[in-house]
Amino acid sequence: MAKPGLLESPEVDQRSELDRPWVVVVHNDPVNLMSYVTMVFRRVFGWTAEKAEQHMMEVHVKGRSVVWSGGKEKAEHYVQQLHGFLLLASMEKAS
Amino acid sequence: MTFEFGEAGGGRFHAIHPVLEGILRAAAADPWERCPEGSARLLPPPGSDESLLEDWQDHVQPELREGFGKARSVVEADLSAMTRDKSGEWSLTVPPEHADAWLTTLNAMRLALASEHGLTEADLAGDEEKVDFSTAKGMALLQVNLFAFMQECLIRAMTGA
Repeated sequence: MAKPGLLESPEVDQRSELDRPWVVVVHNDPVNLMSYVTMVFRRVFGWTAEKAEQHMMEVHVKGRSVVWSGGKEKAEHYVQQLHGFLLLASMEKAS
Repeated sequence: MTFEFGEAGGGRFHAIHPVLEGILRAAAADPWERCPEGSARLLPPPGSDESLLEDWQDHVQPELREGFGKARSVVEADLSAMTRDKSGEWSLTVPPEHADAWLTTLNAMRLALASEHGLTEADLAGDEEKVDFSTAKGMALLQVNLFAFMQECLIRAMTGA
């Protein structure tokens, strides 16, 4: 039987791991048009043209942009939507 | 080729040269058949977290691929309705309700072709007059750029930008 103290520590770690939100990231690719990426952001997230363009430029200049953070299920939903528009998107645990 | 803006997001491409007409018809080809290696780009993984991959491969990717197939069918129908004028040039009408299917299909083929032929940002931004269209890569670049022009026209029609 494991000592209680040895079990408690991982449980705390697991909880904090579960509490960390997921982030949805859009990555740069040379093919998708800037106007297209902006249009997709507006459609998927309901953003203004200005906000969509800011994130599009971040993708273009920095190579990636975090476009959403929150629960896993919703993150999966957004990644699926973005993949439906053929954007290079992924999800990961927030650092 | 020129574009005439229609109402509510659609439009009409006309003065399509017979050479471009042939290239345009290829937009509705199945990218998984036409670009067996490049088409992997169309269904990227959702990330590096292994807990996501199985469900994604089993459920999400087949659903996405089915959606791309439906969009291609819409495009195929519009292509089959193209008309030819007396000078031999072609016209293509994209109804507003088909514009999304066109954007998806053109984008899928551009991505698959670019991936298949290793087209870089420099290739895409380069001078077309220096491209050797007798090579497979040159032809891919011509198609990618033609489809980009069509995408830009449709996006402007849809967003009013």
